[in-house]
Amino acid sequence: MIVVVWAFLFTGIFFIFTGIVGVLRLPDFYCRLHAVGKCDTLGVGLMLTGLAIHEGFTLVSLKVIAIIIFIGLANPTATHALARAAMKSGMKPWTRGDDPAC
Amino acid sequence: MIVFECMATAIGLSMVFSLIRVLRGPTPLDRLTGLGLIGTKTVVLLVLLGSIAGRQDMFVDIAMAYALVSFIGVLSLADYYDTLGARS
Repeated sequence: MIVVVWAFLFTGIFFIFTGIVGVLRLPDFYCRLHAVGKCDTLGVGLMLTGLAIHEGFTLVSLKVIAIIIFIGLANPTATHALARAAMKSGMKPWTRGDDPAC
Repeated sequence: MIVFECMATAIGLSMVFSLIRVLRGPTPLDRLTGLGLIGTKTVVLLVLLGSIAGRQDMFVDIAMAYALVSFIGVLSLADYYDTLGARS
């Protein structure tokens, strides 16, 4: 059981750090948003799943599962709202022609 | 359990890296993205701290409330920039 918890926790922290690398290194706002929207949701969901398994079947694990479902709904919604706000305020998406060094 | 302390440290480190994007972001929306990242990581950090301290029943409720508040904050600021962009 404890091995399953550790596997979930380490996979989750791997995805979280992948998202961080994407946020720090990618060239454009939309690219960064792409890294945040998927990696962060998956990493946080995996880590919370591991913690819910560690709790066992109690009210606390039920609340943790409720948090997982809420984050799975809320994080893509926030990402979509941010991308929509950027598009409305006239931010142009990055293309390869803008930066010859890449 | 020592693994939980290591995980809490790693999440704190990733929050510091998100803070770099908040400080350096060229546009306000970049900074808002970094704030959203820190908000979702804080939820995991609170549940982890509850497991470390042995008070899961208390910390899970705090994490739930924090997730709601962080989501509403990001959404309202995104809506503000949405109307600002539509007006200009």
